[in-house]
Amino acid sequence: MKAVHYLNQFFAGLGGEGQAETPPTRLEGAVGPGRGLAAELEGVEIVATLACGDDYFAEHEDEAMAALLEMLAELDPDVLVAGPAFGSGRYGYACARLAAAAAERGIPAVAAMHEENPGVAEAAAAYVVPTAVNVAGMRDALPRLGALASALASGRELGSAGEEGYLARGFRRNYVAEKTGAERAVGLLLAKLAGDTRTEVRGDMDRVEPPPPVTDLASALVALVTEAGCVPQGNPDHLQSVRAQGWFRYDLGGADTLASGRYESVHGGFDVTLANEDPNRLVPLDTVRGLERAGRVGRVHEALYTTTGNGTPVVVATRFGQEIAGELRDAGVQAVLLSGT
Amino acid sequence: MAWELASFSPGLLREADVEGAEVEIVPAGSPVRVTHVLDAVEPRIRPDGRAAFPTDGRAGEGRTNRLDSVVVLSCLDFPGEERPLHEQESIVDLGGPGAGLTPFADMTAVVLTFSPDDTGHVAIDAEARRAALGVAEEIARGTLDAEPDAVERFELGPADAGLPAIAALIQLSDLGPLYIQYVYGLPAGEAELPRAFDPAEVLDGAVTCGEYHWAAMRNPTWFFQRNELIRMLYREHGKTLRFAGVVLMRGYEQTAADKQSAAERAAGVAGELGAEGVVITTDAGGNSHTDVMLTCRACEQAGIRTTVVLAEETDPQSTRPILTDWVAEADSIVSTGNVEELVEAWTPERVLGGERLLDGSPAAEAGPIPVRNYLGAANQMGQLALSARTE
Repeated sequence: MKAVHYLNQFFAGLGGEGQAETPPTRLEGAVGPGRGLAAELEGVEIVATLACGDDYFAEHEDEAMAALLEMLAELDPDVLVAGPAFGSGRYGYACARLAAAAAERGIPAVAAMHEENPGVAEAAAAYVVPTAVNVAGMRDALPRLGALASALASGRELGSAGEEGYLARGFRRNYVAEKTGAERAVGLLLAKLAGDTRTEVRGDMDRVEPPPPVTDLASALVALVTEAGCVPQGNPDHLQSVRAQGWFRYDLGGADTLASGRYESVHGGFDVTLANEDPNRLVPLDTVRGLERAGRVGRVHEALYTTTGNGTPVVVATRFGQEIAGELRDAGVQAVLLSGT
Repeated sequence: MAWELASFSPGLLREADVEGAEVEIVPAGSPVRVTHVLDAVEPRIRPDGRAAFPTDGRAGEGRTNRLDSVVVLSCLDFPGEERPLHEQESIVDLGGPGAGLTPFADMTAVVLTFSPDDTGHVAIDAEARRAALGVAEEIARGTLDAEPDAVERFELGPADAGLPAIAALIQLSDLGPLYIQYVYGLPAGEAELPRAFDPAEVLDGAVTCGEYHWAAMRNPTWFFQRNELIRMLYREHGKTLRFAGVVLMRGYEQTAADKQSAAERAAGVAGELGAEGVVITTDAGGNSHTDVMLTCRACEQAGIRTTVVLAEETDPQSTRPILTDWVAEADSIVSTGNVEELVEAWTPERVLGGERLLDGSPAAEAGPIPVRNYLGAANQMGQLALSARTE
């Protein structure tokens, strides 16, 4: 199996700070700390070393990355190893960015650096082996880096961060705990009552601050938006009942009501029988038209925006929201009645 | 109050016929995939002749017999035109990698496959639930003339007042037809919840399941009959804690005001039980998670410490754990796993319940199946050991 090793200009023996502007360079075989690393690899050979000046990478990242990835593609290694960069921020950044880009392209990648190196945050799906803050930690770092690189090259499924000696990347992975959830829950609760509060998962919610109230609804353009899966009868655009792939905009054509038989819900998250007897209970067009006639809302926007909110990944739902909000803003809509189920 | 649960050998299993259903007895560990599973029930019968799944409000007294290591799995594919929940695939694998996601793989499974008529999904469901609970009682009849292997006694004696008082606050779903858990035969929304119950009532068939949405996040009847949380609290009573009782509350309250009110009332009931801490459990997903979070906040504001049990719905490619809702007071959460993760493909030798999955594909060659489709795999009562961690 083949490994490619990434180093900065200094560790690659191309020179110190004075050579930090060195553009990406390909060297044959193992160089500098790569020789020590090679001794720690099992069944893996370092076929090439890629080197780049830290300043060059920081100041010309796009060019540096393009050149390095091209070299990497030619070499087609089983694993990319970057560093160790220890506490060096610029070097750590370059290691992490290159490792992340390699991992994204399907090349298993591991970088090594101190856990407080800002580069750690840039590693994305690549692995990071923690090291001491300075080069004195080389002897300790190389066996651990070599072991993880060998495991990655072999294609073996890795265990947890703690078991394998890498920094947690933040991916959530299922595992079977030693105790049932009930036992763990009682344990956590008793600990919390004793002053030791712990959790197995942290809430990390993207809170949306409510905007200020609409000052003059009687002159506002009001749009109807729903995640209730409300579509024209027959679902002409095939909106999914679960895990929606998109959202749709339907012209209301001045209709006063969402008539049963003309609209239906395809939402898969609740029994739609009653909703389909009166789709206004999903999207209250009848009521809003009444308010429009009474002068309590200015005008109803003549497009209904709809999707299915059922099992949609949050990143996808966020995109739907941004796209719909963009159209509404461009149409001059000032208020939205958003109905959920 | 004292209640005894007597365990009997699975060899006493009686065969039973069910009108409108095929019945098949599957030995433990068979390479079988069971599809379209509605409910899982432990066979139970009462020697005093009262119902094993009572509707008279009197569970958790006297003695109940159970067949050890036997489970009734009721399976039904609602007719296509009538299918009101579009994604309700529910699988139990008795072998392969999925067997690690269920407590039923090492049990004898009595699989009922219903052939529904055209009476509509509400009537079809009512009949299937009645039949499954009836069969669970009928096949345990052999225990009435036999000697039990073991008898467990459930009674809360006096405990050191210095131990912390802990209650279980268990959420039951009611989101309309096919999305209902029942308390003494009444939908959770009509059972005047939240209120306190003797913990033995829950273990003795007071709660049954008619909730068929995301399979992994369901709590089938068996999970109440064998409830790990309640059993754990009984075991620890007088040792590390005082078991203050059980509060049942409804999930899917339908308005913001109802959700807030139910949360505050549930905290009030826990307070009346003298609870200093509560474990709050969840059923299903979506807005039931909002009910749980509001309940957590209401308890904490009432001075009752909380631990919440929840499943995650995280995109496996994302580094952000996704909870449907969260409040800052929820600082102690047990994760019962990420339902979005895939389970390795497995080819069963046989499929029961229905040869095709709800999406029309052959169940035997389904490929990797997400955890979310495995019955109870990431249940949020803490019944199993699946969890998720950051790697």
